[in-house]
Amino acid sequence: MDEEILSDFLVEASELVDQLNEQLVELEQSPTDADLLNAVFRGFHTVKGGAGFLGITPLVEVCHRAENVFDKIRNGDVSYDAVAADVILRAFDVISDSIEALNAGERDLPENDPQLLAELDQLTKGTAAEPVLEQPVPQAAEPVKDVSLQLPEGVDPDGEITDDEFEALLNQRDFLLSDGDQSNASSQSADVSLVLPEGVDPDGDITDDEFEALLNQRDQLQQSPAAQAASSTVELKLPEGVDPDGEITDDEFEALLNQRDLMLHEDDAFEVPPVKSAQPASAPAAPAARATQAAAPKSNSASAPKPPAKSNPESTVRVDTRRLDEIMNLVGELVLVRNRLLTLRGSSGSSEEISNAVGNLDHVTTDLQASVMKTRMQPVKKVFGRFPRVVRDLARKLGKKIDLELKGEETDLDKNLVEALADPLVHLVRNSVDHGVEMPQDRIAAGKPETGQVILAAEQEGDHILLSITDDGKGMDPDVLRRKAVEKGLMDEVAANQLDDKSAFELILSAGFSTAEQISDISGRGVGMDVVKNMITKLNGSIDIHSVLGQGTQISIRVPLTLAILPTLMVAFGEDSYAIPLTSVQEIFDYDASKTNKIDGQRMVRLRDKSIPLFFLDEWLSPGSSKESYDDDKVVIVSIGNQRAGLVVDQVNGQEEVVIKPLGVMLKKLSGYAGATITGNGNIALILDLPGVIQRFQY
Amino acid sequence: MQVSGSRGLVNNVSIMNDMDEEDFMGPSVRCVMFALENETYGIQVSKIREVLRVGQIRSVPGANRQVLGVINVRGVIVTVVDTRIMFDMMPKEIDDLSRIIIVELDDERTVGMLVDFVMEVKDIPEKKFEALSSTKDNASRHIQGIAHYQDSVIILVDVDTIFANHE
Repeated sequence: MDEEILSDFLVEASELVDQLNEQLVELEQSPTDADLLNAVFRGFHTVKGGAGFLGITPLVEVCHRAENVFDKIRNGDVSYDAVAADVILRAFDVISDSIEALNAGERDLPENDPQLLAELDQLTKGTAAEPVLEQPVPQAAEPVKDVSLQLPEGVDPDGEITDDEFEALLNQRDFLLSDGDQSNASSQSADVSLVLPEGVDPDGDITDDEFEALLNQRDQLQQSPAAQAASSTVELKLPEGVDPDGEITDDEFEALLNQRDLMLHEDDAFEVPPVKSAQPASAPAAPAARATQAAAPKSNSASAPKPPAKSNPESTVRVDTRRLDEIMNLVGELVLVRNRLLTLRGSSGSSEEISNAVGNLDHVTTDLQASVMKTRMQPVKKVFGRFPRVVRDLARKLGKKIDLELKGEETDLDKNLVEALADPLVHLVRNSVDHGVEMPQDRIAAGKPETGQVILAAEQEGDHILLSITDDGKGMDPDVLRRKAVEKGLMDEVAANQLDDKSAFELILSAGFSTAEQISDISGRGVGMDVVKNMITKLNGSIDIHSVLGQGTQISIRVPLTLAILPTLMVAFGEDSYAIPLTSVQEIFDYDASKTNKIDGQRMVRLRDKSIPLFFLDEWLSPGSSKESYDDDKVVIVSIGNQRAGLVVDQVNGQEEVVIKPLGVMLKKLSGYAGATITGNGNIALILDLPGVIQRFQY
Repeated sequence: MQVSGSRGLVNNVSIMNDMDEEDFMGPSVRCVMFALENETYGIQVSKIREVLRVGQIRSVPGANRQVLGVINVRGVIVTVVDTRIMFDMMPKEIDDLSRIIIVELDDERTVGMLVDFVMEVKDIPEKKFEALSSTKDNASRHIQGIAHYQDSVIILVDVDTIFANHE
């Protein structure tokens, strides 16, 4: 039953983790930003809440401690320095990995590294070691374990759960969440109690209103003495609330809940169930659970066997309801137009009426297409979000100082593209940091500012997205590249010397070409630039390299806005038309037999002092119609990776933007085709897959 | 339903008889009947999305011999196979009676089967089907069973198996 809740949790948690990833690095730049601190605190808190409800104990343990640390930090007791950041980021990685593992269908998370937990606890203690610290962490951790035992009991493996049971569980979770707040309060007050060891009145004569006001105050980081005193009161009072005796009144408890709701204001769903009856119900279970504490996480997984999650969160997309309304509206319009056309068909209306209706249809479908496309669009921020962290970690490891600037994060592009671009971009950014930006001392020696700059930018350029990675590092030396190309046997010296600088830079995109003098574990890990190039080509994109020695490098990637629509060059053999992806097409000219040579059984065409292999597509596409002469044919020069080829075709029919449709049964594995499309005149055109075409002719 | 023999014996209690007959015949399979080379074939209705007249079929060079090409069915590209070639028969020219039966293999995969002509939809009692006893295994792997029903032999085609080996 909780698979559904789990998958909801995972979607939410993944988003939070993405946010946290960015916020944590940002926080290092401005460690005292109260809004940011609160946001981070809430992030951990919300993940903990969900994980606690689902009984994912290891996740709760880490989140809880991280949350404690941030509570300290926002109260100014601990500062978020690089050391703290390292520990927190490690904790964050554990959380991020756990979410990923859960997404992948894993249900038994490994136990946490005790070292990490201890370091987090150490951070919570800060510099002052107080004797009064009443082990706030174990206290908080235990009730959480209780839940992991309790849930499986309530949650019958059969999946039939009554409303009452469910409510009890919800209450339990509420109880726990508020408990989380309490332990924050208690750990926080532990510091305070050094200052006011005896000023704490255990009886806690304080009204609910005052109490709530104080809690709010605490939230707003107002560190007045009154708040401190109050929080010590809270410390003594709240742990009692968790006590099985349950001496906390309903009102007080509700105040706590309200406070929690302030933090969790987004999840309204859980606000509803009243907490009153839950207290006695969930509290007595605690001691019993403690007895079997150690076995708790295991019994959880044993008693409630969970099927692996089938739904991959990446296969879902969140769409603004306004966008959906817009689409619904347009579909309504579409139905109206259809009805009009149907009536016209019956009454054989005037041609003017028909052309009006068709015009209307044209508008509606165009708008509808645009609206549906928008639902697939996501801001590029989703990819960019991970880079501050990547750059920070790398720079720290390499001992470099680097500022990463992100531009145009709100640019929208197709969801599939967002995912497909992630890996190539990570590689390029790593390259910039590793090979581009110099060590601080070298930069100073070269008269540059000590801190290097990497700019990651996105902008829309017509129907393309332009992504660029710019660094102000040492740039590339085209002569070194030429020399390397010769050393690696990619070309002879004469050919290498003929390369202009731009072509020389493009050498780094060739397979087996690594410019790093020594391969570091950062850039030399598997993905070469040739792989990046291939991935971009697959997206019908292109890479452009610009570099000035001593001043820096800029790598630009151009990809279409969407993968669904492909600009193509339409070619034909008789009646049958074929589409060639336009990004690969370089030039078109008339076939001239006198400019061709047959070299080693392969016909080649001479083009500006280069010989390019020719492939006569009719041999494959219209077999049997062997032609005497190709004189009226055209040659389409295409580039595939670093290779160029000339395709000989009957006719060239111009450009057309096509919607790619997959080929059906028995044709999926046929090489040479990327799919099919329906052309403007209603015919089917086959889309050629150039690497497949070349392969067909070469083997 | 008409089954000779049993009806003659209990002619005077016809209502009872019908019920008995239902019980006797048990569940039935609803099939679309089509013809290939003078034989009658059947495909379960639940597998069929629609039956189309033959329009323009776009050939796909390099594809298997059985594949005639692809057609556009309301924006979806569907492969069309020549059922005759699949069943090891000689191909025949497409004429006015030729039809393409669009078969749903699963939620995502559909395929069109070109047949000589489509006849009607019939309910065939399950009990009438029997496994094929012939051992000419290559041809019979598309055949789920045969039924002797209403003076004709109906060959029930197992579409899942036909296309299982062709991905």
